[in-house]
Amino acid sequence: MTITFENIHVRLGGKEILKGVNLSTINGKITGIIGPNGCGKSTLIKTIFGICKRTQGEIYTDGTNIREYSPRQLASMIGYVGQDSAATFDFSVEDIIAMGLYARHDRKVSQKEAVQAAMRELDITELAGRSILSLSGGERKMVYIARAVVQGAETLILDEPTNHLDIKHQLFLLDHLKNSGRTVLIVLHDLRLASHYCDHIYLMNNGENHADGEPSEALSEENVRNIFGISGYAFTGANGSRDFSMFGDSMGQN
Amino acid sequence: MKTGTHILTNTLLFSVLAAAVAVSVIFTISIGSTEIPISDVYGIIKDHIFGGDAELEAGIWAKPQFQIIWNIRMPRVLFGALCGAGLAICGAAMQALVLNPIADPYVLGVSSGASAGAAWALLMPLPFFEGQYQTTIAAFVGALFSAFVVYFMAKRAGGGKLQPVTLLLSGTAVNAVMSAITSYLIFRAKSPESIAAVYNWQMGSLAAAQWKTLLLPTVGVTLGIVIFTAMGNRFNMIMMGDDDAAAMGLHVRPFRAVMFGFCSIVVASLVSVTGIIGFVGLVIPHIVRLIARTSNNRVIMPLSALLGSIYLMWADALARSAFGAAELPLGIITAFVGAPFFMFLMIKNGYGGSRK
Repeated sequence: MTITFENIHVRLGGKEILKGVNLSTINGKITGIIGPNGCGKSTLIKTIFGICKRTQGEIYTDGTNIREYSPRQLASMIGYVGQDSAATFDFSVEDIIAMGLYARHDRKVSQKEAVQAAMRELDITELAGRSILSLSGGERKMVYIARAVVQGAETLILDEPTNHLDIKHQLFLLDHLKNSGRTVLIVLHDLRLASHYCDHIYLMNNGENHADGEPSEALSEENVRNIFGISGYAFTGANGSRDFSMFGDSMGQN
Repeated sequence: MKTGTHILTNTLLFSVLAAAVAVSVIFTISIGSTEIPISDVYGIIKDHIFGGDAELEAGIWAKPQFQIIWNIRMPRVLFGALCGAGLAICGAAMQALVLNPIADPYVLGVSSGASAGAAWALLMPLPFFEGQYQTTIAAFVGALFSAFVVYFMAKRAGGGKLQPVTLLLSGTAVNAVMSAITSYLIFRAKSPESIAAVYNWQMGSLAAAQWKTLLLPTVGVTLGIVIFTAMGNRFNMIMMGDDDAAAMGLHVRPFRAVMFGFCSIVVASLVSVTGIIGFVGLVIPHIVRLIARTSNNRVIMPLSALLGSIYLMWADALARSAFGAAELPLGIITAFVGAPFFMFLMIKNGYGGSRK
C-alpha cells in the first residue's frame, strides 16, 4: 500500500512545525525519514491518526483520502508505533498484543492464533506471560510492534523503533522488516542503519522537505554537511551493499 | 501455559466471589442492633420468596422479625451490594479513563458534586416534580459538572496533558467547593429533618435505603457492569495512553466523554441515596488487580463489582453493629480503610504517576 502525505502543515502553540511536507511510501519497501532533532519527523507521522492535527494538507492511502476511513478501518491498514508508550498498569505481553485485535477485520483467524503469529514474527514468544512492567525498553518496543502487526496492517509506521534496542535486536528488527514485504515508513536517527536498510530516504529540515531519493542521493556529502554539519555520505559498496561513511577515512568507494 | 492458568484462576475467583456475595447477603442481614440467627434469616427469606409467606402465616416466624429482615435490612444490604459494585466499577473505569491508578469518584470530586446537586434538590426542590427523580437528576448534573471541571482544569494546568498531581489538586479544589456548597445549603435550610438528611450524606450512610429507592440504582449499576465489561478491551486500549489508543483505532475523545458521563450517572444514582462513601472505587480495583494479577478490564470490571459489593455489605454491617444502637456512618469506615491505602499508593507510585 502507498501512503501519500500531501502538503502537510502543522501548527503547535503558534509555531509552524510543518510547512508543507510531501512524502510518499513505496509499496513493499522501506522508506526512511531522516533529519535533525525537532525538524518535525515525528509530528509528520503523528498526523496520520490525528495524534497531531494538521492545519492543512491531505493524506491518501492508495489514492483514497484517509478522511473517508474510520479510525478503526485505518488501524486495520496501518500500524503505528510511537516513541514511547505509557506502561502504568500491569498487563501481560499477550494482553497488550491482543489489544491490537480491535482493528482487525478478518475474523477468520482465531484471536489466539493471531497473537501467537505476531509473537513468532517478532521472536518474542517467550515473553508471552510476562508483565509489561517487568520488561526492558527494548523488549517493550518489540511488544508494541507485535501489537501493530496484530492489527492486520500491511503497512507499518515506526518512530525510532531501534532506540531502546541493542545492536543485535536493531539488526534483527530491520532485517525482518526488510524481508517481510511490508510497506514500512520509519523514522531513524542512525545514518548507517538508514543508509543500509532504507530503499528511499526523505531528508527533512526545519519542517520542510530538504531532499529525497535513494540513500546515496538523499544523504550525499553536501546534504549531510548542510543539514547535520558533519562530513559523511551514504554509498553503495562494491558488493552492492549500502552503508554510510563517517569520520573522514572512507571504508568504501564513493 | 501461563495465560491458560490465569483464565482458570480468574474463573475460579469469579465463582468464589459470586458465592461470597450470596453468603454475605444472608450473613450481614443477621447483623445489627438486634441479632437474628442466620438460620432464621435464611428461613424467612426462603419462606417469603418461595413459600408465599405460608410459614409466616402459620406463626413459625415472628412478624416483627420478618419486618426487620425483609423491609429494613434486606433493601439496605442489597443497596450496599449495589453501591459497592457501582463505586468499584466506576473507580476502575475512571482509573483507566484518566490513565491514573489513584482516580476514583471520590478523589475526582464526582461524588461531592453529586452530593451538592442532591442537597440542592432536597433542600430547595423545584416545585413541579419533587422526589427521588429530581434528587437523582440534580445529583447527576452535579457529578457531571464536577467531573468536567476537574478534568479540564487538570488538563489545562498540566499543559495539555493529564498529570497525576494536577488531577489530584483539581479534584481537591472541586471537592472543597462542592462541600462548601453543600454546607451552605444546609445552613440555609429551614427544616431540621432536611439538615439531618444532608448531614447524613456528607458522612455517607445506607440508612436511607428502602425497596422503593432500589430501582434506579439497580438499573444504573447493572448497566454499568454490563457496559464497562463489554467495553473492557477499549478501556485496556485507553490505558496505554491516548496516542496508542488512537493508533489502534479508538475514537479516544468521544469514548472518554461518553464513559465519563456514564460513570457520573451511576455515581449519581447511588450518591443521591447514600451520600458520599469515599475510596471504595480506589481500593477495590487495586486489590482485584493484585489478586487477579492483571489489569485486563474484561477481568477487572466484573471482579471489582463482586468484591466491591462484598466489601460494602460487610463495612455497613460493621457500621450497624459496632456501637450498639448508635450507628456509625459508613463513610467513616471506608475512609479509615481507604485513606491509608491511598497514601500507600501515592508513596509506592510516586504520586501515582506513570512508572516507566
